[in-house]
Amino acid sequence: MRWRHLDKSVFLWLLLVAALLVLVINPLARLVWSSFQDGATGAVTLDNYLAAYGRWRYLEALVNSLVLGLAVAAVCVVFGVPMAWAVSRTDMPGKGLVWAAILGTFIMPSYLGAVAWILLAGPNAGWLNRVYMGLTGAAAGPFNIYTMAGLVLVIACYSFPYMFVFTRSALDLISSEMEDAATTLGAGVLRTTLRVTLPLTLPAMMAAFIVAFLEAIALFGVPALIALPGRIQLMTTTLWQFFEFPPRVQVAAAYAMPLLSITALLFWLQQRLIARKGYAALTGKGGERRVVRLGAWRWVMLGYCLFITSLSFFLPMVIVLQAAFAKAWGRGFSLDNLTLANLRFVVVDQPITRAATVHTFVYGGASAALALGLALAIAYIVHRRLVPFGRALSYVAMAPFVIPGIVLAIGFYAAYTSPPLALYGTAWILILAFTTRFLPIAYANSNAAIRAINPELEDAVRILGGGRLLALRRVVGPLLKRGLAGAFLLVFIPATRELSSAIFLYTTGTQVLSVLLFDKSDEGNFEYLSAIGLILVLGTVTLVLAGLRLVGRDFMLTRTTTT
Amino acid sequence: MKTSRALIPWTVLALLLACAAPAAAFEGEQALYEAARKEKELTWYTAHYNSESAAAVCNGFEKKYPGIKCNYIRTTAQVAYQRLAQDQKAGLAVASVFSSTDASHYGRMKQDGWLQPYRPKNLSELIDAFKSFNDPGDMYVATAAGLVLLTYNTSLVEAKDAPKKWTDLLDPKWKGKVSIGHPGFSGYVGTWVVQMRKLYGWDYFKKLELNKPRIGRSINDTVTMLNAKESWVAAGPSATTLESKDKGNPLAVVYPEDGAILMVSPTGILKNAPAPNAARLFEEYLLSRECNEIMVKMRQDSVHTAVKPLPGARSLAEVKTIRPSYDEVERGIPEVKELFRDTFGI
Repeated sequence: MRWRHLDKSVFLWLLLVAALLVLVINPLARLVWSSFQDGATGAVTLDNYLAAYGRWRYLEALVNSLVLGLAVAAVCVVFGVPMAWAVSRTDMPGKGLVWAAILGTFIMPSYLGAVAWILLAGPNAGWLNRVYMGLTGAAAGPFNIYTMAGLVLVIACYSFPYMFVFTRSALDLISSEMEDAATTLGAGVLRTTLRVTLPLTLPAMMAAFIVAFLEAIALFGVPALIALPGRIQLMTTTLWQFFEFPPRVQVAAAYAMPLLSITALLFWLQQRLIARKGYAALTGKGGERRVVRLGAWRWVMLGYCLFITSLSFFLPMVIVLQAAFAKAWGRGFSLDNLTLANLRFVVVDQPITRAATVHTFVYGGASAALALGLALAIAYIVHRRLVPFGRALSYVAMAPFVIPGIVLAIGFYAAYTSPPLALYGTAWILILAFTTRFLPIAYANSNAAIRAINPELEDAVRILGGGRLLALRRVVGPLLKRGLAGAFLLVFIPATRELSSAIFLYTTGTQVLSVLLFDKSDEGNFEYLSAIGLILVLGTVTLVLAGLRLVGRDFMLTRTTTT
Repeated sequence: MKTSRALIPWTVLALLLACAAPAAAFEGEQALYEAARKEKELTWYTAHYNSESAAAVCNGFEKKYPGIKCNYIRTTAQVAYQRLAQDQKAGLAVASVFSSTDASHYGRMKQDGWLQPYRPKNLSELIDAFKSFNDPGDMYVATAAGLVLLTYNTSLVEAKDAPKKWTDLLDPKWKGKVSIGHPGFSGYVGTWVVQMRKLYGWDYFKKLELNKPRIGRSINDTVTMLNAKESWVAAGPSATTLESKDKGNPLAVVYPEDGAILMVSPTGILKNAPAPNAARLFEEYLLSRECNEIMVKMRQDSVHTAVKPLPGARSLAEVKTIRPSYDEVERGIPEVKELFRDTFGI
């Protein structure tokens, strides 16, 4: 092919693919390699796999984790999809409040929520149990957080925002034409919604399902607080044993490897389910979105939304506020127990909190921008088949999420402490680690967004003589812009609360809030823990709202000006 | 105006005296300080104390020795060791001083040649009982101590009903109300389990399981469990429990008749320390009177002969303490972790 006719954008694609390889393959390959290495001599061996899978207890933990992951993802559908539909398509009142509560839920670190839930539903003294006993006169309450059901509830509470955001952005794109067709043929609102509207969001729902499933499997904080006292063996709590003295990180790596194949399996399933149907919702033909009138049911819908957000946000927040402003939280609520000392201590007396707050938001913002840019580009390349092996690329982009952060950190450390990328001690090691870690979320979201854009829009540009880059700039870009703020938040927020990889990679100049928070949870100091948690939640909400205002979106992520 | 101006020379003199006074805390201090100041800063990996106390120690050090910046990375013992191991493997020299609560780390580090010897001049100030826990080759010295003892929530349990000795936790009246940590997550709990097995055999834990204890991760989780009223009594830490009690939480400690478990936490200087002189000066500081006075305010136990604890706690010299030897800890903890997982199923 002559140079003149070569589409110059090819170089851009190759560059992006290279970036993906450096960010994901480099640390992952080191991890895979170490799983085959003898800890002392460095010789190639299979002993790590024998040690990791040679005991029934370890296998049982893996099975428990898979059950947990599936249950959490299923509950996320029940929690998130109706809320997304109500907010996106109906005339339900109080949408702003519901959205704010979901934002708050998403921001709250799940281990902070877990501590709050122990206080709410502890079998001996949980507030909910005490209220129940007070009302019924029973000797014991019905709630016990230290069970598999309790664990699923708490984790689902902090994962369903993925389901909400993914489904909602898909619903926002579906025009009412198809619904009208169903209505014309005599289907009612319910039937239309269940048979037409929601099935169209299937790719987005499946992406969120995978994200929630993977996050539940790889989580450590909540299991340490709830599964351990509940005597439930999970993969991450088992994984911890390999970090006990003397640490056997090679065995830990081996133990985490099969998770990569589970991710591959999920992908294959997703492809199978979606493959033969068309989900391009965004076509060149305009199309309007009309609001579904719910009548009296809109209050029922609001009740449901508030019930779920009470579980995930309002109730835990009451506990956090009580402790953050209490002299001694064990004394319960009373006026003479109120103080500002905890907040003053963590903000004024410990300058580290202020530095860590700034780091948290800067690193979170930088990695969200990097991950989102890369994810959009990769999703585009894969869907338009611009390079061979696209399917493999999309797998690579999703792989990091399933490896628990504590194991992934070993790979990051190995990848970024030796030349050519000697980044240890700098902010970059954290930014790159967060980028890699949350690339899957950005990718799952971008994938759904690109899938919804009908290629015929770009083809129109190309038929008229424009190049691929022009089509991107003038057509795809503007179409994607709508969901960009939401997609950014999806990475930014998890990055601000990321703990497990940060704990090995931060140094004295680069602390982040999540590490401070976790330290406090380990130190039995719930007053300070809550005060820092409160700062994290309030700080992020403020920042998000200010940011949205800046990009011209209102609270509901819709355009403030109608241009 | 006149009087205040007249005060200036006196103030200056007083300040000069104040600065000059602590100059000779130990022999050779000035020379070590000069050498340390050239290194500008040191990094300390520590699992001793909580993060507030670690910050207070660093601040105290910087005030006493201006011109040397003290950086601390406070984490749990296993995370601290893992970080250090990664640094060593990558050939990075980051930390100069290493303080773990897991005594078995030190034998291994000594064997692997990660430590360098130093005999602190301030060793003479160390409480005698701790001296036997120092390395004969001066690779590490005991700089921190703590106790595992019986703790309870005073709003649920009256002092007369509280457990007095370790075997009282087996009483069926505490069924579903006992809180303990996990030896796989906490060196304090591991040492406690080793000592209980030594005293009463593994039967102790089989009987304890009949009471269905609430098992947390760190020993500090017992403080949260008691404050939440989820548990009534616990095998808990002295420092964190007393610190929470000082805030007004309804907690109390009991020094068990059969002995509080003494935790001895050593500190060592790393062979590849980027700031070896500052590290030595820092180790001297950890043993000093000033540092231990900061510690007792944070409710940590003093290892200094002349520094007594605040009211509510007893001096380590007066309490009946028991502890397994380093050797018993090093061999015992891996064994009891397995037994613990078999008995409690987690």
